[in-house]
Amino acid sequence: MLRKFNARLLQLSNNAACTQLVSKLPLCTSAPIEDANKKVVSKAMKAYLERAKEHDEFMAQKNLEFQIGKRHLANMMGENPETFTQEDVDNAISYLFPSGLFEKKARPLMKPPEEVFPQRKAAEFDLMGRPHHFLFYTGKPNFYKLLYDIVERVNECNRYEDAMNRKSIQRDPNLVLEMSGYQWLDKDALEKQCVEGINDKEYNNFKDAMERLTKLPYSYKVKDFIMEYSRPLMMQTKTHDVPELQYDKDGKAFITTYECLRKRARADVTVSSPGTGKITINGEGINYFDDIHCREQLLFPLIFTNLHKNVDVVANVEGGGPAGQAGAIRWGIAWSLRSFVDQEIVEKMRIAGLLTRDYRIRERKKPGQAGARKKFTWKKR
Amino acid sequence: MLKVVSKEVLGARLPKNIRALCVATHSQKFRTSEDKPSYHSSSNSAQYYKIPQDIRNQLFAHGGIPKSYNIQTKSFAETCLMVREPSLDIINCIKSIDYSKPVNRFVLYGKKGSGKSLALAHVVHYGLETGHLILHVPWVGQWMRYCKEYSNSELKPGNVDINLDAANWLVHFKTQNAHVLSNADLVIGQDYVWSKREKTQKGAHILELIEHGISRVKYASSCVLGLCMEIKELSKKGKCKTMVAIDGYNGFFYPKTRVYTEKKEMVPPSKVTVTEGFLEVTKFDWNNAVCVLTVDEIASAKEDQLSHMPKYLLGKEGFEHLDPFIPVAVNEYTDKEFTSCMEYYRERKWVQPAPGQDEELSFLSGSNPYKLMQICAGL
Repeated sequence: MLRKFNARLLQLSNNAACTQLVSKLPLCTSAPIEDANKKVVSKAMKAYLERAKEHDEFMAQKNLEFQIGKRHLANMMGENPETFTQEDVDNAISYLFPSGLFEKKARPLMKPPEEVFPQRKAAEFDLMGRPHHFLFYTGKPNFYKLLYDIVERVNECNRYEDAMNRKSIQRDPNLVLEMSGYQWLDKDALEKQCVEGINDKEYNNFKDAMERLTKLPYSYKVKDFIMEYSRPLMMQTKTHDVPELQYDKDGKAFITTYECLRKRARADVTVSSPGTGKITINGEGINYFDDIHCREQLLFPLIFTNLHKNVDVVANVEGGGPAGQAGAIRWGIAWSLRSFVDQEIVEKMRIAGLLTRDYRIRERKKPGQAGARKKFTWKKR
Repeated sequence: MLKVVSKEVLGARLPKNIRALCVATHSQKFRTSEDKPSYHSSSNSAQYYKIPQDIRNQLFAHGGIPKSYNIQTKSFAETCLMVREPSLDIINCIKSIDYSKPVNRFVLYGKKGSGKSLALAHVVHYGLETGHLILHVPWVGQWMRYCKEYSNSELKPGNVDINLDAANWLVHFKTQNAHVLSNADLVIGQDYVWSKREKTQKGAHILELIEHGISRVKYASSCVLGLCMEIKELSKKGKCKTMVAIDGYNGFFYPKTRVYTEKKEMVPPSKVTVTEGFLEVTKFDWNNAVCVLTVDEIASAKEDQLSHMPKYLLGKEGFEHLDPFIPVAVNEYTDKEFTSCMEYYRERKWVQPAPGQDEELSFLSGSNPYKLMQICAGL
């Protein structure tokens, strides 16, 4: 009780001090501050300037090295160093240092230093050590400025709505902001944009605020702002151009797909129409596969497109085992069938995963382990 | 339920011939009420007919219907066979055969699970109906690859007996031919001396020979051999009409067996006592008989199942032994047969009806009867 009282007292006295300060401020204006500018450079500023200088020197050095390296590389590749572009550099590197590493980021690279070294914030305060940004002391000024901006927009929309209501003007129902095909900027991208670290809670706050803004009836007025922070969802992938049908001597339409792969199996598949649903695999019928699930694999694309009675399939397949071979042929059939069906079904096939190549292959066994991932039974000694 | 009741009511009131007519008109397309193979014609093709329980017990109590099919017949509580082209062809041919001429040999061949054994079963049923003496071997592989026991032959030095299997077969033969063996004309044409005290005399009824083999298992193999010879002689004399039906006939010519001598050396089929008898009855040099054989990949070891064609399966020796024969191909289900089979399964409530079911199953099974049965069977 006593402590609370004390705290209250303190607060009161602080307030009093503030009012005093404010009242005094206008009296002692420009002159002393200018003097201070000349003499007093805050410690933070000093440290910053040192760091900035160091960084600039470092970057200049790296840039120089990069330019020289690029010229060397161009000479090595026998090209003109003046017109040697970054794309050429990348090609040259992948040619000179071929790498089988799965992770692309782990492969050798040669990029301009600006891309390689993380960017730094410019000075956020003046020589006096007084921050430029009004939200500097939040620790994340750019991010909180963004939230602030969102609220500004919300207020703006609300004001506009009120005005409209006062004029009793109905909102045009066609002018609605449609956000179904979009998603908010993801956390990493937002971090990059703010040049600040953001935690999950803050990111959720950002999303909630944006949601709230878009839900407003007149949110279309701030469409540009909203769009700045949203990205279209995965666009309908342009499935590769569907090849034209070919016709044989009898006028039968057919399509051959080469290089159908799954695991270690490689196949080429010819689908022809009109047909009776006959399947030939390496000269045999469906009996080529003993297992029922392999046969089902082949049937799936045909049933899916409802063409199982209308097309013939001829497949040559080698390598791998039955499951891989069946998968390879399945992909070949689906890929070829695109030419026989309309765009809508192709899109359905894509969503069903029929047109997706399965690039997974067997993972190698590791030394010191029982298998690819499995470890030997652990024994204390 | 209602249907069953109505059928029973029908059966109670109407005379037999009209009842048959009613059932025929009421029954579905995939079934025929004609259960006598001799009346089956191409109009019955792809239809199922029911083998009466007593005939089934007589013919196939000791084998003759493949195991997996047998299990299915138990589930269905009836033994139904589909009337298919190969067996119809053979039956039609047998109908018009001149029995005074040398023996005709029919060889059923086809891919695994295409229905050779069931076609043979159909023909065997026909043989029973027409009063043939049936010399039916349910599965040669049982002897050559999965024999129960083997021992060196006493009567034929250098040969190996498979007595338990031979005795089993004698029981099978006896039950199958109960209708013919009552004929008093079937007498033995020569003396059989088994040991100092045991012998079967010339002029004794053939049943004595069989009984001896069954009771003295030690001599069963030799009895089978003797029986084959006697039947051949009797047929030549015109005492009986014989039908030889052997499933997996190529087993008699496939060199790798699992029959061993006492020194654990592999015995070729020609050294197994029973083989000689059945090779004898599949020769052309007798009459009043007909041979229906099947050649099957499964009768040989897994590594040698390269082709289903008779020439490959029989080998040079077997092919020359049978030459000339009439090959009869057993193929996968035609569309009509397939639909009929699915209808039957649905009628038996074995599969749930679903749209597009037939096409899908036809594709998955490749219309192979055995594969279809496997797919439709429970887990």
